[in-house]
Amino acid sequence: MATLLRPVLRRLRGLPGLTRLAAEMPLRVPGAEMPLRARSDGAGPLYSHHIPTSPLQKALLAAGSAAMALYDPYRHDMVAVLGETTGHRTLKVLRDQMRRDPEGAQILQERPRISTSTLDLGKLQSLPEDSLGREYLRFLDVNRVSPDTRAPTRFVDDEELAYVIQRYREVHDMLHTLLGMPTSILGEIVVKWFEAVQTGLPMCILGALFGPIQLSAQSLQVLVSELIPWAVQNGRTAPCVLNLYYERRWEQSLRALREELGITAPPVHIQGLA
Amino acid sequence: MAAPKSCALWSYCGRGWSLAMRGGQLLGLRSSWPGTPLSARLLSQEKRATETHFGFETVPEEEKGGKVYQVFESVAKKYDVMNDMMSLGIHRVWKDLLLWKMRPLPGTQLLDVAGGTGDIAFRFLNYVQSHHQSKQKRQLRAQQNLSWEEIAKKYQNEEDSLGGSRVVVCDINKEMLKVGKQKALAQGYRAGESFTDSRMPIAFGIRRVIAAALQEAHRVLKPGGRFLCLEFSQVNNPLISRLYDLYSFQVIPVLGEVIAGDWKSYQYLVESIRRFPSQEEFKEMIEDAGFHKVTYESLTSGIVAIHSGFKL
Repeated sequence: MATLLRPVLRRLRGLPGLTRLAAEMPLRVPGAEMPLRARSDGAGPLYSHHIPTSPLQKALLAAGSAAMALYDPYRHDMVAVLGETTGHRTLKVLRDQMRRDPEGAQILQERPRISTSTLDLGKLQSLPEDSLGREYLRFLDVNRVSPDTRAPTRFVDDEELAYVIQRYREVHDMLHTLLGMPTSILGEIVVKWFEAVQTGLPMCILGALFGPIQLSAQSLQVLVSELIPWAVQNGRTAPCVLNLYYERRWEQSLRALREELGITAPPVHIQGLA
Repeated sequence: MAAPKSCALWSYCGRGWSLAMRGGQLLGLRSSWPGTPLSARLLSQEKRATETHFGFETVPEEEKGGKVYQVFESVAKKYDVMNDMMSLGIHRVWKDLLLWKMRPLPGTQLLDVAGGTGDIAFRFLNYVQSHHQSKQKRQLRAQQNLSWEEIAKKYQNEEDSLGGSRVVVCDINKEMLKVGKQKALAQGYRAGESFTDSRMPIAFGIRRVIAAALQEAHRVLKPGGRFLCLEFSQVNNPLISRLYDLYSFQVIPVLGEVIAGDWKSYQYLVESIRRFPSQEEFKEMIEDAGFHKVTYESLTSGIVAIHSGFKL
């Protein structure tokens, strides 16, 4: 059967993506044991939950997840998949930025995670008002969210970059606290604009541009006239938020941290403020 | 041999198979047919600790049953949507062709194994019902001098629109059966209660499962009974095979992730399909189980095949 396929493979050689795929396809040899599942670069899974994917699969996933996220806004997993499949280049830039910063480099080395198992909730509760830790906890309570709802990274084909995007996801709640934005749709869009300017991730940019589609005219007006310019300006002036070792700054006053980053107060008071 | 009983453990090879048995210890299905047209039966099994295959991973056997169950638990709700998406609707044609080949008469009893959400079962019932109705019409037309009251009485007295046909749907997975039962009630059929039958032991290993399942199928059928299997098979055309592989491995897991949020189940699905025997091999296995006049028909260049055999 292999001899029959050779002319087909030769014709497919003109399309580089397909020949790589053709090489990965398990050839059906009758009677023999099936080979191990197709791999994108010859290596197996690089970290737990990793699913190696070919460029074609990534493209299909990106398109499909974008469409599904628009169709059903409750599919947060689709937004995550979109981020993972489109963010490779940007994640490299972010990773290099982190390496150049001393605090960022520490984060890359130590790889802290934010979840209910790694956070000492009792200690955070006991911290004074206006401290980062206490305000973060208040944000979680008021908006009834938990840091454990972040799905693990699956489609990033580099172990360090997988951590970078995981860190970005876990830091998202911190940004809500820093910016003083609730988890309503309006609040999420504002944070997305901030993240889009800060990180340049395609998923953030798409979310920032397409998120407002579902908003009412009134909210849209407030968003465009006041909130977006504020978010964009803060995003530009603030240093890279991924470089902050939040776990070491729980006691730091939130006001002081905002001053350090150059984050100003929001122009409009959004209902349900954290 | 007091192995603990547990939730149903099946080895999965495509849609058609879920029965398996320990060679030698043949305790069969109950032979009494329940009094309702559609009844769902959940079979619970014992396990044996050897290695087996889960798609292309090799896992210890105790894990496999759990994994297979999980595959279908998560798959159940989106099953019908995914079927349409993955096969671009062609799976409906395949199932229609299966019924067309079957040509059941009113009064036929159907045992739908791994029937899941009941696609085949409902097609069977619709087919039998429309046949029964047209037979009734013909009978009435044949009688020349019936008064209005007599005709009306004949229609009113009609208790069983199916002419005595019954369907029993078996599946490892409660979720799939639940969906199927909802569909039955929505379409106006009486659906019976589900219950567990804990007398069926199980063996693992795809080839052993098929052989054992075929033997059991042969035992369960009455003489004159027919065994039909609609199953994924081997593609005969090399170019189409290449395209089919490309589609299976590249597109289907993506569809699974986007639509059902489940990459791994659909990766497993496409891998397990490739382990299934070819049309000829399967035909020989059916003959080995004791069936006569075994034939097969490949559909869509061999992506699926319908095998048929008779117990004489």
